[in-house]
Amino acid sequence: MTTRRKALLGGAGVLALGVGSCAGRRWWLDREPVAPPATDAKGHALWSNWSGLEHAWPAKRAAPADEAELATLLPSAATPIRPVGAGHSFTALVPTEGTLLSLDKLSGLVSHQGQTATVRAGTRLSALGPALAGIGQEMLGLPDINKQTLAGALATGTHGTGKGVTAIHGQVTAMRLVLADGTITECSREQRPELFHAARVGLGAFGVLSQVTLQNQPLTRVRKVVKLVDTDWVLGEWPALAARHRNAEFLVLPFTGKSALITHDTTDEPVRPRGPDNDSQTLMDLKRLRDLFEFTPDLRRRAAQMAMKDLPEDVAVDEGWKLLSNERPDRFKEMEYHLPVERQVEVLREVIRRIESQAKDVFFPIEARIIAADDAWLSPFYQRESGSIAIHAWYKERHDWMFELIEPLFREAGGRPHWGKLHSLGAAELGALYPMFGEVQAVRKSIDPAGRMVNPFLKKIFG
Amino acid sequence: MRALALIAIPLLAACQPAAQPLTPEQSAKLTPKDPRLAQLYAGSCKACHTVGDSKAPLTGDRTQWDPRWARGEDALLTNSQVGFGGMPAGGQCFECSAEDLKALIRFMAGREP
Repeated sequence: MTTRRKALLGGAGVLALGVGSCAGRRWWLDREPVAPPATDAKGHALWSNWSGLEHAWPAKRAAPADEAELATLLPSAATPIRPVGAGHSFTALVPTEGTLLSLDKLSGLVSHQGQTATVRAGTRLSALGPALAGIGQEMLGLPDINKQTLAGALATGTHGTGKGVTAIHGQVTAMRLVLADGTITECSREQRPELFHAARVGLGAFGVLSQVTLQNQPLTRVRKVVKLVDTDWVLGEWPALAARHRNAEFLVLPFTGKSALITHDTTDEPVRPRGPDNDSQTLMDLKRLRDLFEFTPDLRRRAAQMAMKDLPEDVAVDEGWKLLSNERPDRFKEMEYHLPVERQVEVLREVIRRIESQAKDVFFPIEARIIAADDAWLSPFYQRESGSIAIHAWYKERHDWMFELIEPLFREAGGRPHWGKLHSLGAAELGALYPMFGEVQAVRKSIDPAGRMVNPFLKKIFG
Repeated sequence: MRALALIAIPLLAACQPAAQPLTPEQSAKLTPKDPRLAQLYAGSCKACHTVGDSKAPLTGDRTQWDPRWARGEDALLTNSQVGFGGMPAGGQCFECSAEDLKALIRFMAGREP
């Protein structure tokens, strides 16, 4: 009897230890990352990007009130001079020990004519949508997040999705730039075309953008539908779905066999405003599933499918700028590559297979979008319709698997990285991907021979 | 006398109207009195602190801010400087000094002088 009791107590003890260990492991993994000091030894305040992956203590911070002030400060600014945008890039485009330059005060609409609008480059996308709506215009494609500045979005080739829909820079018709020596210049297809082609997607290395003219379209109302579908089905139907809808994308929910298909189509239905954001809750539900069933993928899939059974589709009708972009309050880290569109589905299948077999701690969705070709020299969509694949990790969790497991796959398929998202490429690899890379380097050297706008990360990019 | 003062404090607190939650629309109408601070606020904090879906406490909503304020102004300042939860370092205000951040926190917490 005593032996039995001891065995039972021992078993309960082992079970408690197991449960306790799992809870302890999760507590340890979910801890807040250690923050760098608020100031450095010289008293310079900390800057970090949105994800928290990059940081610096810039010696100077500048936020010029207008273009004239910007032109005055640049010639004598501490170097490297790095425009910060909204700090949403995941790569080290911004860190500087010199001058951190904010364009927050260069914001708002300058003028408009027909379906074009000239906008100050520091305007946030969240403010640009309503400003354009106020003059009866809209941008056909918008990115998933609305916090970026227009300058930052252009500098990194930021994009939305849709068959025949270009990235934001594909709709730029003219730009005003203040070069590192303070010279104010304008460029377009007719005026300084080499600068226009190089600086439209310019990584903040071709002077500082002060104004942008956009070719927009008349303001429309769209119907947004979000519905849960089988991943196998959406992978098979994707080319047809992308062609059928104005803007289409899908998010593969790994380890569930399900995906969220998101479509936007022009409509004249009455307005049905979007409801509260459930994406954040869904994300944390996926995390809980991962926390519970990380080591039992079959159970994880079954539990997910039970939880998602019979979920109704989510429909909203409103102006496009209100529906295409999102708040995204949960910070994360991201890698996105743009592949030749005909390779997208095949590569995505392998991405899912690799994550589900070798990275069982991943819970963030995998995003697939489609982007039309354009002719900006550093555009990842240069002369190529592209299918993008984006992978994510929560800001508190590891992301080394992106480089080890997935990036080689993207590269083998001829993918070009998103300039603001994680990648490991340098000048040699980029030169092979961008036919006009030599011309780009020549333009950059001609307008900033001393490299005053180049930080260590950009040195690696440009060589 | 001292006992009276101790009684008076809770009584005074009881006389204060209970904090009411704000809607995002009500929150978005609030702006700092100081023009420079108002510009800093509009360029950074406002993008998240007036949006219900952002998870950030709504500007002026004492029901959300009071428990945070109870942790102390220094703790809130440190969070804003190095980042906390969904908020990155500096609250995305790239030209804010520590004094600016303090003033912005006071304003958003409904304690602007």
